[in-house]
Amino acid sequence: MTAPCRKACCSATPRLTVSELVERGFRRNRAAPLPLQGDELSDAEGNTARFSLAIAAERIVDANFRVSSCATLIAYCEFIAELVPGARLNIVTALTAADLVESVPGVPALKRPRAVLALAAFRAALAKANERRTQTEVES
Amino acid sequence: MKVAYIFATQRHNVSYVLAKMILPQLEENRHGADVVGMFFFEDNNYVLVDGNPIGARLHKVAKDKGILLMGCDQCCYEREIADKLFPGVPIGCFPDLYKALSGNMPDQVITL
Repeated sequence: MTAPCRKACCSATPRLTVSELVERGFRRNRAAPLPLQGDELSDAEGNTARFSLAIAAERIVDANFRVSSCATLIAYCEFIAELVPGARLNIVTALTAADLVESVPGVPALKRPRAVLALAAFRAALAKANERRTQTEVES
Repeated sequence: MKVAYIFATQRHNVSYVLAKMILPQLEENRHGADVVGMFFFEDNNYVLVDGNPIGARLHKVAKDKGILLMGCDQCCYEREIADKLFPGVPIGCFPDLYKALSGNMPDQVITL
């Protein structure tokens, strides 16, 4: 069985179009941060991004973010936030900016570098999670 | 005088005000003001889609005269056309527009 098409041409929801990712992402962008917050990162154009995660038993339970109000950046961050719940910490580190660009088609080339910031912010939150895990292991 | 146009309302704006007034005047060098930029909201962005006949004329005159053309990013994403615009025509929001115009600021911004 193949996964249903989630592009604009089909009715399977939630759709993974940039526009609908932005719409869902706007709501998530206003949500309260989750317990584990990564560092806030920025790019040369002054956009900022910070992810927060909820983690249990080495798996991501939920992801939120707080980013500049750039539609493209919000779409990329929302894609990550919808993708990662349930994933093991060590698996999601394999996600690359190129994967992100490929997974969210329809973004013009000029705006694709936003994927780099989105992913870097997500990885910063993962790094915090790994730091905390190491600290817990040392203490126990 | 330098002006920038913001095409904010829909109805008859692109097919009439732009295509039958502003654009021919620009092509004939008798518009009466230096247009430094045009920003498009909502369905007005369809004029920027590569292949649009009015857009092709606009794109040419914009290149010749150094006029910035920019589409609203969220409007273009909503219409699935963000990656289908004429070559070199960016999408963006207000920060991008102000930044792009900062080297050639208009004296007046006219909302149509």
